[in-house]
Amino acid sequence: MSFGEQLRKDFGTVTLALIPVAIVINLVVGQIVSALNLPLFLDSIGTVLVGILAGPWAGLVTGLLTNLIWGLISSPVAAAFAPVAGVIGLVAGLCARYGLFRNWWKAAISGVLIGVAASFTAVPIRVFMFGGITGSGADFITAYLLATGSSLFGSVIITVLSTNVPDKVVTALVAWAIARALPQRFLARFPRAEAVTPSPQG
Amino acid sequence: MTLYIPGDGFLYRRHPVTKLVFMLCVAFLAFLGPGRWTPLLIFLAALLPLALFSGLVRPYGGALWRILAPLAFFLFVLHGLFNPAGRTVLFSVGPVAVKLEGVVFAALMTSRLLCVLGASLLFVFTTPPSALMLGLAQHGAPPWLTYVIGATLQIIPHMRARAAAITAAQQARGLETTGSLRVRARALMPMVTPLVLSSLVDAEERAIALEARAFRSSRPKTSLTELADPPVERVARQACVVCTLLLIGAGQWL
Amino acid sequence: MIRVEGLTYTYPFAGQPALRDVSLTVAAGEFVAIVGANDSGKSTLCYALTGYIPHHFHGAMLGSVQIAGMDSRSTPLAELVTVAGLVFQNPVNQISGARFTVYEEVAFGLENLGAPRAEMAARIDEALALVGLEGVADRSPYALSGGQQQRLALASILTMAPQVLVLDEPTAQLDPLGSRDLFAAIHRLSRRGATIIMAEHKLEWIARFADRVIALAGGQVVLDGAPREVLASPLLEQHAIGRTRFTQVAARARALGLTSSDALLPVTLEEAVDFFRPILPKAINA
Repeated sequence: MSFGEQLRKDFGTVTLALIPVAIVINLVVGQIVSALNLPLFLDSIGTVLVGILAGPWAGLVTGLLTNLIWGLISSPVAAAFAPVAGVIGLVAGLCARYGLFRNWWKAAISGVLIGVAASFTAVPIRVFMFGGITGSGADFITAYLLATGSSLFGSVIITVLSTNVPDKVVTALVAWAIARALPQRFLARFPRAEAVTPSPQG
Repeated sequence: MTLYIPGDGFLYRRHPVTKLVFMLCVAFLAFLGPGRWTPLLIFLAALLPLALFSGLVRPYGGALWRILAPLAFFLFVLHGLFNPAGRTVLFSVGPVAVKLEGVVFAALMTSRLLCVLGASLLFVFTTPPSALMLGLAQHGAPPWLTYVIGATLQIIPHMRARAAAITAAQQARGLETTGSLRVRARALMPMVTPLVLSSLVDAEERAIALEARAFRSSRPKTSLTELADPPVERVARQACVVCTLLLIGAGQWL
Repeated sequence: MIRVEGLTYTYPFAGQPALRDVSLTVAAGEFVAIVGANDSGKSTLCYALTGYIPHHFHGAMLGSVQIAGMDSRSTPLAELVTVAGLVFQNPVNQISGARFTVYEEVAFGLENLGAPRAEMAARIDEALALVGLEGVADRSPYALSGGQQQRLALASILTMAPQVLVLDEPTAQLDPLGSRDLFAAIHRLSRRGATIIMAEHKLEWIARFADRVIALAGGQVVLDGAPREVLASPLLEQHAIGRTRFTQVAARARALGLTSSDALLPVTLEEAVDFFRPILPKAINA
């Protein structure tokens, strides 16, 4: 299938109906997690799901729009991190396309890849736009690292990786568990359903 | 829905894309423009007066404080105390010392964020979502993009209500949501899974509804309403971009 | 208007066909009701009559469906929806989400069809009046009741002026008031000569207003005829379709020997009155 054809298939009507739902899942699940006082963000489950079910480009769009819309609703600074969210969807889609969501430990690996990619996209934004600050408790880690002699960049990299990678691993596992719970005939309606079906070798 | 606050005035009557361009130009100038005082200058000379004339000072100040205060706090503490470039000690607090260069850096970053946030808030406060979507569509945004933005905004309250209902139902069945970390972590999937699965089913049905409304038709789409986009604004947008580029260029080479 | 020939359809990954060798025709202006137990294929047939089968659901389709002269297999879905409109059960999921007021929501279909702006106001007003939603034109679609949302879905489809209207159990999720208002709107449409195909459980209503009733069981057509023929047939019980209250009471009276054993059972109130008038004195004394 040519790139153009695949893109048209990825962005069919079902995907277009899925993306708003996924964006809202990102926002609402993030709030559930916050209400449960869990030490995670889990605000990208929808993005990863779209990456799995509809491919990397749909995942990219979902991530970008999540932050842009959050900027319209609550905090415009969130829009600055749209590229990070976009990368999450993109990498999730690529992992799925290469079979990395077929079982739980492959999904965990995908989570690590997503977390690392997201972190490396986030760090330059954090450092150049926000002086390395997140405005949250993670800044204490950065402070400690700075105080013990690390550079600003280095401190931020470590802080961002340590908060992002575990979060994305859990995100990937949750998304995998949900995609796996979908019945085959329902899954078939999405453009990239074959990413979820376990291959014969497992 | 969004942070939009109904009102009237100069800003409210401008085309959304004009405000968007202005906001982006200010954002770029704040970070790439010449001089350390530029961001603060823009805020005091342009943004704050605009907020004043639009009758938005209260919510403006409130939002700026809500979003910036935590960032500013950590910026000043972190950089004042630990910025590697810090040398000149201003005063000491126990074992740590607050240094001038760090404080200056924090002040600069805060003023940049103030400027960018100030411009974005002006945009969001004065632009209703429907006008934004219409304005973007008029300037070539693909229909699927404006659809996704509008649909997301409308589904949010709907989904929040459903999440609350699922939480209540699960709690009635004995789900514990307070207590140790293990207990709370176990509460996650029972709350998230039904929400996501039911939403996916809805999305599938909504796709059928979209087809039924000929959304995928290849006929060129028309529009019920139209937003005025006077030539004056068109020129103003171009002037804005040119000035921004010139100023940034000047800052880099002079 | 609609011609179905030998339609057999199996959903992807399904063990057996949802529709088996279904053939029927619907003439312009007819109001056809489709009855059947759950899983009898009613929804599947509705999707096949509007082109979602095969285009949206894929799966294996044998036979043919002609909609207003277009073959459903070879015509793209985007064109089929301009001649065949579909309203389905869930009121909320039929809100496109693209627009913030009821008025604009109705306009959405017209915008997608490329209708000239000058025409829109008249067409939208007409559609809203037909379903009785003129008063809420400025409200958010999400702020309406279920019944109102369903009427909004109907208006949004009607404004596109389809030649055939297909409704898949439109009152299934509505309260009695909502159902009543929706049925009233559908009846108005039928009286104006619209071609309507409606899958429904509420037998008493279709007994009064449908021109024809088709009964489905196990994906096959088991009955196809006038309401009185179909709804009074003993086959309905056999296929778990149920009967109207009037039919049930009359069947009881017939079983008790109060009428001859081949008396035609009523399906509507008027027919029931005619059925019982001669036997009422006998029934009281029995």
